[in-house]
Amino acid sequence: MTAPAHPGATPRTPAQLIRLVAGREISTRIRDKGFLIGSAVLIVLILGMLVFQVAVNSGTDTTRLAVVGGSPALGEALAAQGDAFGTEVTVTGYDDEGAARSAVEDGDVDAALLSPAGVQPELLVESGGGQAEALVQSAVQGLSISEQLAAAGVRLDAAPTVDVIALNPDAGADLEAAVVALVAVFVLYTLLFLFGQFVAQGVVEEKSSRVVELLLATMRPWQLLAGKILGLGVLGLLQMLVIAVVGVAGALAFDVVDLPGQLIGTVLSVVAWFVLGYAFYASVFGAAASLVSRQEDLGSVLGPVSILLVVGFFFAVPAAQDPSGTLATVASFVPGVSPLVMPVRMAAGAAQWWEVVVAVVLMLVAISVIIRIGGRIYSGALLRTGGRIKLREALAAERV
Amino acid sequence: MLEFDGLRKAYDTNQVLEGVSFGVAPGQMFGFCGSNGAGKTTTMRIAMGLARADAGQVRWNGSPVDETVRRRIGYMPEERGLYPKMKVGEQLTYFARLHGLDVAAAKRAAEHWAERLGLGERRGDKVEKLSLGNQQRVQLAAALVSEPDVLILDEPFSGLDPVGVDSLAEALLEQARRGVPVVFSSHQLDLVERLCDAVGILARGRIVASGTVTELRSAAVGRQLRVVVPDAPTGWAAGVPGVRVVSEQRGDTVLELVPGADDQQVLAAALATGPVAHFAWREPTLVELFRDAVTDNRAGTGTQEVAA
Repeated sequence: MTAPAHPGATPRTPAQLIRLVAGREISTRIRDKGFLIGSAVLIVLILGMLVFQVAVNSGTDTTRLAVVGGSPALGEALAAQGDAFGTEVTVTGYDDEGAARSAVEDGDVDAALLSPAGVQPELLVESGGGQAEALVQSAVQGLSISEQLAAAGVRLDAAPTVDVIALNPDAGADLEAAVVALVAVFVLYTLLFLFGQFVAQGVVEEKSSRVVELLLATMRPWQLLAGKILGLGVLGLLQMLVIAVVGVAGALAFDVVDLPGQLIGTVLSVVAWFVLGYAFYASVFGAAASLVSRQEDLGSVLGPVSILLVVGFFFAVPAAQDPSGTLATVASFVPGVSPLVMPVRMAAGAAQWWEVVVAVVLMLVAISVIIRIGGRIYSGALLRTGGRIKLREALAAERV
Repeated sequence: MLEFDGLRKAYDTNQVLEGVSFGVAPGQMFGFCGSNGAGKTTTMRIAMGLARADAGQVRWNGSPVDETVRRRIGYMPEERGLYPKMKVGEQLTYFARLHGLDVAAAKRAAEHWAERLGLGERRGDKVEKLSLGNQQRVQLAAALVSEPDVLILDEPFSGLDPVGVDSLAEALLEQARRGVPVVFSSHQLDLVERLCDAVGILARGRIVASGTVTELRSAAVGRQLRVVVPDAPTGWAAGVPGVRVVSEQRGDTVLELVPGADDQQVLAAALATGPVAHFAWREPTLVELFRDAVTDNRAGTGTQEVAA
C-alpha cells in the first residue's frame, strides 16, 4: 500500500495556527455533554429568576375582594383606596354571605365584605386581614363620613390634589437598573469563573497528557495559549449573549422592568466588560495552570488567583446599594475588580463617562501586562513536568 | 541530509551532551543507541526545538532547522502524548492540519494512516479507550500523517508486541524508501541491526561509534577467531604469537588476535592438533559492538565519566 500523493503542505502563519487551536477548543467543548448541560442550566436559572419575579410581583399587585350588598360608590371608594395602597382592587359581587364565605375559603378572593352600608360591616378573611383590612377599613369609613356629611347638608368642595415634585426623579429607576446590573454581573462572574477554569483545565490536560510536546513542534507557546483563550472566549461570549438575549427578551415579555432601554444598555455594558474581564482572567488562569502538571494540583494554583475575582464580586453588592460611595468608586477602577463593579455603577448612573474611560484604559493596560508576564510563565513552565513549578523558576526558565 | 553538528547541552552542572555530531542521509534508517541517560532524548528534543542547545546546530539540507522545517518533521516523543478525550480520526486530522495540510488532504491522510496501522475500526473511538499498543499506533500515525520530509522517533518500538513491531518496521522502511531520513532511538539492538543502514552509539554525551553496521563490524573484525578442534589438547593455541585465548571448552576455542597477528599461523597450529571442524572470524553482534564501544570509551575517558 502506498502513501497518498504528497499534498504539498503549505506553511502555517501564526494566525492560521491560532485559528486551528481555537477551532479545536470550540468543536471539542461544544460536543461536551457537561458543557451543554451546564449552559442549559444557566439559561433555565435565568428564566426561573424571571418567572419568580413575575410571580412575586403579581402576588402583591392585586387585592381581590368579595362584596355582598355593595354599591357603585363603594366600588369607587375601594378602587381609590387601592390606588393609595399601590394595589389594584378587583371587586366581585356575591349574593349572600355563604357564597362569599366559600370564596374566601377557596382562596378565590383575599377577603369578603359583608353589609358594607349596614350598622356593623364585617370583613371575612382567611386568617389575618393584612392589606385588605386596612384598605377596606379606609374605604368604608371614608364613604360613611361623606354620606353623613351629605346627610347633614354639608357641601363638599373638591378636595385639593397635592402636586408632587420629585427632587431625584430617577432614584427608583436607578435602583432598578442597579439590581438588573447586579444580576448581570452575577452571570458575568459565573461565566468568568467557568471559562477561566476551562482554560486552566485545557492547559493542564495538554501538559499531563504530554501532547504539548507534539504541539510545540509545530507552533510557539504563545500561539497555543492565544488559540485556547480565543476559542474558549468565543464560546464564553456566545453563552453570555444567549443569556443576555434570553434575559432581556424574558424581562420584556413578562414586563418585569419599567425601562427597557436602560435594561438593554446595562446588558450591553456587562457584555463588553465580560470581554475585558475574560481576557484578564483567562490569561491569569492559563499561566497559573501551566505551573502544575496534574488536574489534582490545579486547585493549589487557581486558589490564590481566584481571590481577586471573588473579591470583585463582593464589591459589586455594596456598589449596587451605594454606587457613589468611596468603596464602590475605588473598586470600580481596580483592574480585575472593575468588570464586576463598574457595570453596576454605570447602571446606577453614578459613573461619569471619564471614569468609565479611565477604568477601561487601566484594564487594558493590566491585560497587556498580564498577557506578557503570563505568556512568559506559560512558555517557561510548559515543558517542565513533575510537581509544582515555582513562579520564579518559570520566569527564569529557558523559553523554547 | 539531516545533520547534528556539535550539540552541547548542560542541565545545571550536569553536562548531558558534549558535542554530538552525526548525519543522516535521505532514505537512510539511522538507529540511535545508547545507555539510559546517555542523552538520546535530549538530542532529539533539541532537533524539535523542545530544548535549546548550549552550542551546536541541527541542519536540514544545509540550513538550520527552524519552525518551517520542523513543520515538515514527523516526531514521536519519548513520553507519548495525545489528547485522551479526542477521537482517533479527529486527532490525526488535527495534527495533519497543524502541519500544514488543508482540510480535505488532512482528512484523507488521517484515514489512510489509521487504516495503514490497523486502526481503521477505531477511528471513531476516543484515544483513552484504546489499549496501550493501539495508542502507540495512533502516536506513530500522528508522526506520519503529515507526510513528513524527516522522521525523528524516540523509542518508537517500546511497548509493542511482535506483530506491532513488524507493522511499524514496515511503515518506517516504506518511509525510508520514499527518501525520508529516519532517525529512531531504541534499546532493542537486534531490531536496530535488522532495520538500520546506519547506527550511532551515544555514550556520555558523545557519539562513540557510528557508521553502517558492516563498517562497525569491520572496525572490530580481525579481533576474534573461533576455532573448533575436537582432538586438541587444552592450551593448544597459547603458544601462537599475538594470540590470547578468550575461552576454551573441549576444543571449541575463541581467540583474540592483536592487530597484525597472522591468522594462517593459527590455522597451522590448529591443523597440527588434528582435524579442524570450524575456523572463522566471529561476526560480533551489535550488542557486543555496543558493549565494546561503551566500555572502551569508558576506559579512555574515565575522568569525564565522573562529570557525566
